[in-house]
Amino acid sequence: MTLIALPRFTLVSSEIRKLMAFVRRDLLEMLSYRLAFVSDWLSMIGQVVVFFFVGKMVSPETIASYGGSQVSYIEFVAVGIALTSVLDVGLGKVISAVRQEQLYGTLEALLASPTASTTVQLGLAAYDMLYVPIRMTIFLVLVSVLFGANFTWTGLGPAAFILLAFGPLVWGLGVVSAAGVLTFRKGTLVLGFAGFAFAVASGIYFPVGVLPTWLQPIAEANPITVALDGMRSALLGTAGYRDVLPEFAALIPFAIVSVVAGIVAFRAALRRERRLGTLGLY
Amino acid sequence: MREEPHVGAVQPTAVGAASDRAIAAEDIAIDVRDVRRRFDEKDALKGVSLLLRRGTVHALLGPNGAGKTTLLRILAGLVDPDAGTVVIDGDPSMERTSRRYRSTIRMTPSGDRSFYLRISGIENLVFFARMYGLRPKQAKVRAAECFEAVGLEHAGDLRVGRYSHGMQKRLSVARALLVPAPILLIDEATHDLDPQGAARIRGLIREAVDDGAAVLWATQRLDEIRGFADHVTLLNRGEIRFEGTVRAFMAVSPPRRYLVHLRDAAKAEDLRARGILARSEEALDDLGRIVPTAEADEGHMLMALEEDVVLSRALGALMATEIEVLACVEERSEIEEAFLNLTDPEP
Repeated sequence: MTLIALPRFTLVSSEIRKLMAFVRRDLLEMLSYRLAFVSDWLSMIGQVVVFFFVGKMVSPETIASYGGSQVSYIEFVAVGIALTSVLDVGLGKVISAVRQEQLYGTLEALLASPTASTTVQLGLAAYDMLYVPIRMTIFLVLVSVLFGANFTWTGLGPAAFILLAFGPLVWGLGVVSAAGVLTFRKGTLVLGFAGFAFAVASGIYFPVGVLPTWLQPIAEANPITVALDGMRSALLGTAGYRDVLPEFAALIPFAIVSVVAGIVAFRAALRRERRLGTLGLY
Repeated sequence: MREEPHVGAVQPTAVGAASDRAIAAEDIAIDVRDVRRRFDEKDALKGVSLLLRRGTVHALLGPNGAGKTTLLRILAGLVDPDAGTVVIDGDPSMERTSRRYRSTIRMTPSGDRSFYLRISGIENLVFFARMYGLRPKQAKVRAAECFEAVGLEHAGDLRVGRYSHGMQKRLSVARALLVPAPILLIDEATHDLDPQGAARIRGLIREAVDDGAAVLWATQRLDEIRGFADHVTLLNRGEIRFEGTVRAFMAVSPPRRYLVHLRDAAKAEDLRARGILARSEEALDDLGRIVPTAEADEGHMLMALEEDVVLSRALGALMATEIEVLACVEERSEIEEAFLNLTDPEP
């Protein structure tokens, strides 16, 4: 019973196929939590309802125009909320998934199988990576129908293009945090604070212009702000793929550093756990 | 070719006969040499060496905390040893975390926690079959086969979270068998199973062994190794106390206590009047002692023999005084006796 070494291409395609197994597994798990699924949507809609009424107090002049036309606050904030889905998945879901695998004891079973640790890292968020763009789109459609927001639907493509760079960036940060959780068993509190600070110093809920002067340059350089600018230009203005290229290009270096840091940190955390013999502890 | 090592530094007399036999290098699935592992202040493994042969079941015995699970986890690549080497398939260059290494080994962990509780057992198997590289359709077919093979077909769509301990054990074995692997590391697979279930699992493992797999079978169910395992390693406090064949292990400590069922066959009234207990005590004399197991049933006795007395001599003495021996069984099996002899008593 001797195993034959597979060609590299076969190995890569085999690993990619495994990602679909993660998607199927998480879909089944999600279906087992029907109430959580419904409550996720209700809370998101509830959030929009709040911002809808807040928006009535906000003067449209304080919000930047996109594509030459003035946008309402609800349109402005809806794109911000949609983007927070990516943050939630990238930062929160990857961490909670690692923690859950530890608690279930399945992390060891996964790592004992001939599956690359990078596949495991990607697999833990694969379902959400597919679900989030769908969720974002449905969310924007609902906001449009329920609150009369005007979105440029042709801008969905360029917005998704931005996510191609922003998603890996956030995922990499999530994996770095997951490595911290693997090592320290906790860390979501610190991460929650960091995520909050990161989100505040961006343009998710309000324009960067209303932030204190000293914070504005930081917020401008914040990758969330960069991604939001690109997405709002596409979804609220008339920006096409070529127009969002600068934002996309600005995000790429962040994404590369983040992904590499994530992979390195996670592998280092696994090596440490094996060395200490604590991989199975939770 | 190299001589099979024996490591029993603590009790060298407990080396089995198999240790003297040379075995071919191509027959060795795992060669463990001088593996050491320490957790905080405790030495979990103090220089353990072991050879796992292809096509055999190697039982790994030992009391709680002996180091069995630590050894299995090291072999599975989940824990690094502090020192020592683990060579698979005679290839020392194969890293324990490499994909090839992990393709070679399947492990059934001792605990319950290793499945996704919110999805069904069969869906868990499909998922892990995909992790072992099967395509979706193959994975479904193979998962269904293994699910049925371990006797879980009645569980259907039941979520693993609702499984009993025994069902999770069966599922764990099914996972190990999804894709044939040259080496199986099985930790307490039959611990929570009824006798039929345990026999079924052993049968499946034996089939894998017949196909060439090497199995390291850690267990505390001592009697199950008889007729199942080919070799035994006994660990105690991180050290090997015995390594050899099951037969050699059983010979380490012959049983000294027997449960006997006696019947008075005396015709003479005076003999019958004295009763079988008094006559048994008299017959055994300095061969050993005999006591009833229950006051209400004089026919069932516990017989303890002296060091150098063979069983047939004691039974002969009983029969000479017109006492029939209807049954005689070891109070503890040879395996249990050997285990207790070779391990330290609990503090």
